[in-house]
Order: sequence, then C-alpha cells, then structure tokens
Amino acid sequence: MVSDTVSYDGRLVIVDALSAEARLIERAQAHDEAAFEQIMNLYADRLYNYILRMVGSPTDAEDLLQEVFLRAYQGLPNFDGRASLSTWLYRIATNLCIDHQRKRARRVQTVSYSAWEDEEGEGGAWEFPDLQTPNPMEAALNHELQQVVEHAVASLSPKLKTVLLLYDVEELSYEEIARVLNIPIGTVKSRLNHARGQVQKHVEAYLRGDSK
Amino acid sequence: MNCTRYERWMWDALEGRLGESQAQALQAHLRQCPRCQRQWESAQATYHALHALPRLRAPEQLMHQVRARIQHAPARPPLFGGWKRVALAPALGLLIVLGYWAFTVRTPDATQTIVQEPSESWVEMHEQLEVADWSPTPTANYFITTGYSR
Repeated sequence: MVSDTVSYDGRLVIVDALSAEARLIERAQAHDEAAFEQIMNLYADRLYNYILRMVGSPTDAEDLLQEVFLRAYQGLPNFDGRASLSTWLYRIATNLCIDHQRKRARRVQTVSYSAWEDEEGEGGAWEFPDLQTPNPMEAALNHELQQVVEHAVASLSPKLKTVLLLYDVEELSYEEIARVLNIPIGTVKSRLNHARGQVQKHVEAYLRGDSK
Repeated sequence: MNCTRYERWMWDALEGRLGESQAQALQAHLRQCPRCQRQWESAQATYHALHALPRLRAPEQLMHQVRARIQHAPARPPLFGGWKRVALAPALGLLIVLGYWAFTVRTPDATQTIVQEPSESWVEMHEQLEVADWSPTPTANYFITTGYSR
C-alpha cells in the first residue's frame, strides 16, 4: 500500500497517501490556501523538471509552472477526482507546453535568429542549471553521456518527448500517461518504443565515437 | 537469428518485465551476436542515463510569485454547482421538449414542398417571359405546352 508520513500534533502518523490527497483536495476546493500551498509544494519540483525538459528554457518553464498552478487553483472546484491529482496536473502542464511550443514555432518563423537569441538570454535553448546535490548514481554516470541523452530527448517531437519524459523520467504508469494524454495504452507503448529507439541511436553513435 | 525479437526484449529486460526463460534466451543470444551485444550496451546506457537525469528544484521565488498571483486571482466557481445543479435537470428537459416540438411540428411536410415546387417554378417562368418578352414570335407549340396567353 502506498503510504506517506505526515506530522500531526508533534507525532508522526502514517496515513494512506490516497486518502490524505483526497482530504487535501477537499480543503483546497474549499479555498483553503494552506492546503493549496501543500499541493504546490508536493508537485512543484516534479512539474518544473517536466516542463523544463519539454520547453528547454528555464525562463519559459517558470512562467508555465506559474500558469499550471494558477489554472489548477481556478479549476480545483471543478476537479471531480476521477483522475488522480498528479494526472490532472500533468495534463494541464502538457497542454500548456504544447501550446507554448506551437506559439514558439510560429514566432521562430517570423523573428530573426538574433532577436530570438537576445530573448532567450545566452541563446542556449537546452541549457540546464548545474545539479546542486547529485546522488551517487548520477555522479558515477558519464557527464557527457547525460548531455547526449538530454540533447537527444530535446530533439524528439513533442508527442514522443511527452511520453518518454512521463514514463522514463517522471515514472508515471502506462495507464496514467494514457489518461494524461487521452490516448490508448497501445499508443503510449508505441510512442515510447519510438522515442527510446531515437534516443538510443544518439547514444549508440556516442558510444561508437561518431559524435560527441 | 531473429535479432528483432531480442531487440524488443531488451527494454523489457532492463525494466525487469522479462520472464526467466526469455531472459535466459536473450543472454544466450547476446553471447553469440556482436551486433545485439552493441545494441544491449547502448540500451543499458540509455536506460540508466534517462533514469539518472538531474532533478532540479523549482526556484523558491517562483512559489512566492504563484502565491501572489493566486491571492489576486478570483476563484472560478464550479460550472454546475449549487443552484445551477438544481436548475440543470428541468432546463435539459425543456430543451428536449422544445427540440422535439421544433423537429415534428415546425418542420414543413417534405412531400408538400416537392408538389409545390413545379407550380411555383411555372409561375416564375411565366413572369420572366412576360417581363423579358424575349420571343417576338412564339411558336404555336409554345402556347400549347405552357398554356401561356397574352
């Protein structure tokens, strides 16, 4: 059973995570700002990482995360609990990222590269801040290989990237991804295979020494 | 050798989804196929790199900004909450009755329309002929077929 540890009156109480989430949602739906803040704290990092890899720009990721929480706050009274809260939040984030990418694609067509470079800061659309607290596994991994994988993921089409990030990075199940994207589970699996295949090609080329 | 099948199994093996007999078959195949061995190495590297991508913390000031925006944002009321939910059922019922009435009572009889059309077109044709008077010498056959008379 999934369980979570929460502090209550100075004692540690083990509660079922799902019912705790349901209570949290109920409180947030009744405009309890503290409850909504708890929801933000629970999901901020996960959503930020997902959005950042979807759009590639930290500035855009911050704007989009703000928008996700604002829409969630406004939409919570209509949240019926049929999907889990995380599924619902990832759905909002995915829709906003796809909208953002469409708008950016149109903007790139009309704005010159230099103007775009100025707007994006140093022009590094796929730059990520350094990891502050790497875990032992991350430290052991080849930094170059990680860069290769980051670039390979960034080069995927939005459809493939969404599924790959939700499954392999955010660790959602096939069923959850199907609900987030409103597509059949078979399509999730097929997109995941395609996405992994494309990333693997980059890694293979790197391991062979074809690319850096 | 059916390499395609073993390639498909590689990701299942990495996720621990492969059955014991399949895992043994894959291992045996990898020992004798250098191409699949290379594929296996790249699949392993990709899998571990994907699962070890850096996890970043959302910037702290971002949460302050969200809080500020939420305090100024009006909470959207539920779409069908409170009295709206009570009013929804009768409103839907009324809509169905109106739709049925519009469909059955107000729709003109299709057969009648077909019958009326030829006579209306005859009248129109006569009027146009009268205005245009395009034929200075109409033939006798014309007067017989149309019943037109001046």
